[in-house]
Amino acid sequence: MKFRISKEAFLEGLQKVQHVVSSRTTLPILSNVLLVAKDGRLQFTTTDLDVGITGSVEAQIEKEGATTLPAKRLVSIVRELPSSEVEVTVDAKNHAQIRSGPSFFKIIGLSETEFPPLPDFEGARVFKIPQQVLRDGLRKTSYAISTDETRYVLNGIFTSFRDGKMTLVATDGRRLAMVDADLEFPASHETDVIIPTKAVQELQRLLGDAGEVVVKLSDNQVSFTVGDSLLASKLIEGNYPNYRQVIPGDSNERVVISREALLETVRRVSLLSSDKSNSVKLVFSENHIEITANSPDVGEAQESMDVSYTGKPMQIAFNPEFLQAPLRALDSEDVYLDLIDEMSPGVLRIEGSFLYVLMPMRVTN
Amino acid sequence: MEKEDVAVEVIVSESAVFSETDQGWNQVCEALRGMVGADAFQRWFRLATWMGEEDGVAAVAVPGEIHQVWIETNYLPELTNAVTAVFEDVREVNVVLIEVPGVNADGSASHAPARSRKEEEVILLEGEALDKRVKASGLNPANTFESFVVGGNSQFAHAACLAVAKKSGVGYNPLFIHGGPGLGKTHLMQAIGQEILRAQPGSRVIYLTCEKFTNEFIDAIRRGDIEKFRRRYRSTDVLLIDDVQFLGGKERSQEEFFHTFNTLLDGRNQVVLTCDRPACEIKSLEPRLISRFECGLTVEMQPPQMETRLAILKKKAMDWKVRVDGSVLNFLAEKIRTNVRRLEGALMRVATYASLAGESVTVDKVEHLLRDLIREEASRQVSIDSIQKAVADHYDVRLADMTSRRRPASIAFPRQIAMYLSRSLTKGSLMEIGEAFGGRDHGTVIHACKKVTEMIDAEQGLKETLERIESQLRR
Repeated sequence: MKFRISKEAFLEGLQKVQHVVSSRTTLPILSNVLLVAKDGRLQFTTTDLDVGITGSVEAQIEKEGATTLPAKRLVSIVRELPSSEVEVTVDAKNHAQIRSGPSFFKIIGLSETEFPPLPDFEGARVFKIPQQVLRDGLRKTSYAISTDETRYVLNGIFTSFRDGKMTLVATDGRRLAMVDADLEFPASHETDVIIPTKAVQELQRLLGDAGEVVVKLSDNQVSFTVGDSLLASKLIEGNYPNYRQVIPGDSNERVVISREALLETVRRVSLLSSDKSNSVKLVFSENHIEITANSPDVGEAQESMDVSYTGKPMQIAFNPEFLQAPLRALDSEDVYLDLIDEMSPGVLRIEGSFLYVLMPMRVTN
Repeated sequence: MEKEDVAVEVIVSESAVFSETDQGWNQVCEALRGMVGADAFQRWFRLATWMGEEDGVAAVAVPGEIHQVWIETNYLPELTNAVTAVFEDVREVNVVLIEVPGVNADGSASHAPARSRKEEEVILLEGEALDKRVKASGLNPANTFESFVVGGNSQFAHAACLAVAKKSGVGYNPLFIHGGPGLGKTHLMQAIGQEILRAQPGSRVIYLTCEKFTNEFIDAIRRGDIEKFRRRYRSTDVLLIDDVQFLGGKERSQEEFFHTFNTLLDGRNQVVLTCDRPACEIKSLEPRLISRFECGLTVEMQPPQMETRLAILKKKAMDWKVRVDGSVLNFLAEKIRTNVRRLEGALMRVATYASLAGESVTVDKVEHLLRDLIREEASRQVSIDSIQKAVADHYDVRLADMTSRRRPASIAFPRQIAMYLSRSLTKGSLMEIGEAFGGRDHGTVIHACKKVTEMIDAEQGLKETLERIESQLRR
């Protein structure tokens, strides 16, 4: 196998797939990237057996072939190469020679026959989703995924295709984020799956602004095709808990707040929330919110915001990080905060489909 | 919401006819409602039921996983406070799930259950695919049930392992295999893993040594991703841990292991452990771990008898495609008694010698070739001193009584046992043995041996006692 490629293209192809490389040491082949040179393109594939990803870039193929090379090492070599022209030759023993300008590297690979193939998706249900819709949905929900690995069904985004809608939900028990979007698919395709965190992260890297992503669902696998890149992942097996139970009913008070102003205020005030209490308090009075934080041994912070609020005076405390996360992910001008009382969860909404339920912190006065 | 309020009121007012604990639970509910607010109470606690209390741990059952998640992350302090205020013995409250078969208890849309999906596609893994899975699980593909030679020493252990692998031994959890080094504990344990991987390709099997478990745990603490470590081990279907005696003295690892162990057992996932001694003899191991190790099935592996040793050698010779004379095999089986691994090593040495030297091996040559091994094996032979000490310990008599002239039955009998064991386990002559027991003559020793031989048949349990002392001596 032999090919010439520009350093930038080589690096781009590698960087698309390098995050999936396995850290497991039991199977050395999994720390390698599969390179396939064929039809004027160089294809890159990595897998950790849970998630697999493949993509390709243009290259000048002089001799077709395939091999696997240690991914991390290859990336660091290519990044440091002195010239923008790279020539790679791989012999039958999977020894690769990399030439670029005056430098020469020889690295030892493994045979491509040992590389586990990505699953195939024959007979899978196919969905076509605008990339932007999926990317948006993931951005607005993924920060709420639980990292508590003892409750593994929550370590992913619950994705439901029902009633002509795609619904994405993530929760960690203290907050819940949900987005839905209209989507056309045959009724026979209705299903619910849980996409694991790692696949969500990789998918977010892959998705762009325009075009469609083709999603294929089989019984326990999912794949996403964007252009000539393909991401395949196992699904989390098990039932997602009935999240609708979490969403509060009618609220008593609604306050409209400028998203950016709220985000910045909370960020500033939270500088003085201690690790122990880790909360910011929102005190509501007519057309006015006062946001405060204090740590007994450190000091306190206070900032007020003018808002349109006509309800009764009340106060509620939230974890500042949990309050900021959705504000960062959203892009609307204003947000609505619906409150019942200081002990009930607050609900953050926007114009359009988004909902974020946040449990209050208990305030000890 | 009002309607639901009424429903709760009705239950409260009916409490008079309920038992005392129900009344207690109603008090808890009242307190809780004040603490978390009416809305949260309606939402999360209305359907909760009191399951009782045991050893200071109370259980409260909820109908859906979302209730469990939400209560545990948000309301556990309140719930615990409310419960402990009413039930004074309670120190801890667990939120458990009531499974309603066939129906999703939380009323969620019924997602196709993953389990049935798995069952549909039971295809036996074979060839390379199996090999890959086996290696990824940390297993050695050579250690299968097929390659294990079963003898009287390992029959029970083998049967138990086979039952576990075929999932017919539901109660055998954990399976605790103990025995001396090189007797095939690891082999059997790995065979379980492989059989399960082969028959149920979807299952997750992890094999590792206890030392590796500890090291990974320490690494995880250092890197700060302990959660990842926990998920890896707590979500596996079958966990095989080798040489658990190394947990002794490592308190943090013991604690982590304890929780991993509980999680797996609660989820009815199989745990198999091996150890070089019975669980109760592991030094500095917490009692709660010992009792958990013992709560499943414990099997012991004994050193193989002569016939089994010979069978192992013949099988190995066949596997390795080497031809070794029957007399040589006999010689090896006779000389190397305690350890199968060593037995195989000796055979390997003989086979290599034969292929290198290109000449046929005779017993004399083997004796010369393996002289270090044989000498070592002989030095492992027990001494009369150690026998006296072990027997004195066992019967709780003073060591001095072994050599004293006193002859009450309580002392004379253990002394005879010790003589009998000295005769069968050491190469000492009758004279030497008599001398070691306080200068008795050889007739006394003969008499002791004869008497004990007769007693073995007559008295129940004596044979087992002798075996136990012998195995202690051989360790």
